[in-house]
Amino acid sequence: MTPKKILVVFVLIIAAAALTIAAVSFLTPKKQSLTHLRIGYQPSTHQIAHMTAMEKGWWEEGLAKFGIEEVSDYEFPSGPPEMQAMLAGDLDIAYVGATPPITAIYEGLDAKIVAGVQIQGSHLALRLEINYTGPDDLRGLKIATFPPGSIQDTVLRKWLIDNGLDPENDLEIVAMGAGEAVSAITAGAVDGAFLPHPSPAVIELEGSGKMVVGSGEMWTNHTCCCLVVSGRLIKEYPDVVEQIIRIHINATEYNKSHPDEAAEIYARKVGWEVEKVQYSLNTWDGYWVSDPHIGMNVTLEYAQVIYDLNKPRYDRVLTEGELFDTSFYDNIIAKEA
Amino acid sequence: MTQLEPPLKSKTRSFLKKKGIIEIFSFIAVVGIWEFVAVFIVKNKFALPSFHSVVVSFFEFLSSGVMLMDILTSLLHLAIGLTAAVCIGIPIGAVTGWFRIADRIAYPIVEILRPIPPLAWIPFALIWLHLTHYAAGFIVFIGATFPILINTYAGFRNVPKVLVESAKVLGCTKDHDLVKAVAFPSALPFITTGIRIGTGVGWMCIVAAEYFGVSKSGLGYRLWIEGYWLHHMDNFLAYMITIGLVALVLDRFFRYFFEEKLLKWRKEIVA
Repeated sequence: MTPKKILVVFVLIIAAAALTIAAVSFLTPKKQSLTHLRIGYQPSTHQIAHMTAMEKGWWEEGLAKFGIEEVSDYEFPSGPPEMQAMLAGDLDIAYVGATPPITAIYEGLDAKIVAGVQIQGSHLALRLEINYTGPDDLRGLKIATFPPGSIQDTVLRKWLIDNGLDPENDLEIVAMGAGEAVSAITAGAVDGAFLPHPSPAVIELEGSGKMVVGSGEMWTNHTCCCLVVSGRLIKEYPDVVEQIIRIHINATEYNKSHPDEAAEIYARKVGWEVEKVQYSLNTWDGYWVSDPHIGMNVTLEYAQVIYDLNKPRYDRVLTEGELFDTSFYDNIIAKEA
Repeated sequence: MTQLEPPLKSKTRSFLKKKGIIEIFSFIAVVGIWEFVAVFIVKNKFALPSFHSVVVSFFEFLSSGVMLMDILTSLLHLAIGLTAAVCIGIPIGAVTGWFRIADRIAYPIVEILRPIPPLAWIPFALIWLHLTHYAAGFIVFIGATFPILINTYAGFRNVPKVLVESAKVLGCTKDHDLVKAVAFPSALPFITTGIRIGTGVGWMCIVAAEYFGVSKSGLGYRLWIEGYWLHHMDNFLAYMITIGLVALVLDRFFRYFFEEKLLKWRKEIVA
């Protein structure tokens, strides 16, 4: 290679570096006026509050006075990609399970849990031929659930240990997504699946299994979904955050008093038969909330579990102040009182 | 000082001309830029982990023995898928390449199945093969089969007419003999290229193949569980790089085996 060619190679490397830096600085979110609110959610009955607010136009209507002209929502199959999108600055708020934000905040995500969304709401479904009388009947079975660090994996393992079973040796827990788990139990590839609703209801309705234990029986009042807001919004647009929580509270209360309409809204959003959704809502043990204090202690327990799972990578357990900002919710309640 | 310049210049030039020097400098430059951008510009290990954190993560998994087990498990999945792909892709490619009627029969089926992403087959892998290594091998098989089949087909389609005519003149008239003595050796370079491409594509399917609980180890499994799901992007990148490195070793092995051993005779024909 001649010196001229060497020079060309190095110029190309420098140009690539300059492009990278330019791209990174371009992608880094800058302070700009907030006219477009971007909401992340998952197609779960846990998060109907967002769907109700979206369908009824409450987001746009309630936030218009703060200069927000457009509200978009983005569907995610699970929490991790939703949190990745939030980190990339593509989401302002997210309806998500409580553990993905904990791991994301551990890894540097600037966001806080500002409101509760729902408590409990998962079920262990077993194949029809298994006669379940108690946790001991799970010995030797293969149970599908979400991967380690998820709410379902954490709740299931804790319950097994509380009932004298070793999750590593007495049964096999296999990690997979909800869609794969439903296929796996249908195909007989696993003996059971512990999943958030509506998946257990789908398993039962399709005749592939039956729901045997609700997550509330495993861990009473365990937190499931929460509302996460980006640090940027909290710092730069506190009025908007307060209004977002107010809309969320209204939507939650509306769903609680109109469960049939909530089922219809969900059915329309995800393209399901409304009877299926109603069956899920009639059989689950979950309930919708907006108060972030309700699930706070359990969320802090999740943070401890995630810390234990990732030692020595994490040097401490995340504190309440690092995970939550309840001041907005408390202000709203105080004003209303 | 001016008297010293020419020898210094020529020394630098000859140093840079040494084999591997430019490559090493290029690698160091890329790593340096990566580290600089991660530490001083992005400053967020979630968005871009630094090079040194990826190296630390890589050696942690390597020293604990976890990575070796993951590599072996993934190679098992690749071996299952690739063996099936070779056993099915080569005969179908050969028959459709040699017999016009077979080509007409297989063409629509192959062309409908070929563009379907291996990921879409996951539910069927689960239903048909359950949570076994064969289910992961099936996804690899879907990815690897078509490059092997298409290349074999092209190899048999492109057998020089002069070779076939010469063989016939010399008494080799039956299809079986022509395929064995003329078409297959002629198509062999295409087939080996297909296997190399198929191996690469099959290896790319490993991440998807190990996502749905078929095993408790594997490069794809670890990438999801230890990297993606927990947002440990340094682990994620360490496993991404490992997947790339293993692919490189596999390709070098196949290249050596095919070019230096199986197709050694071609060296005198092709420069």
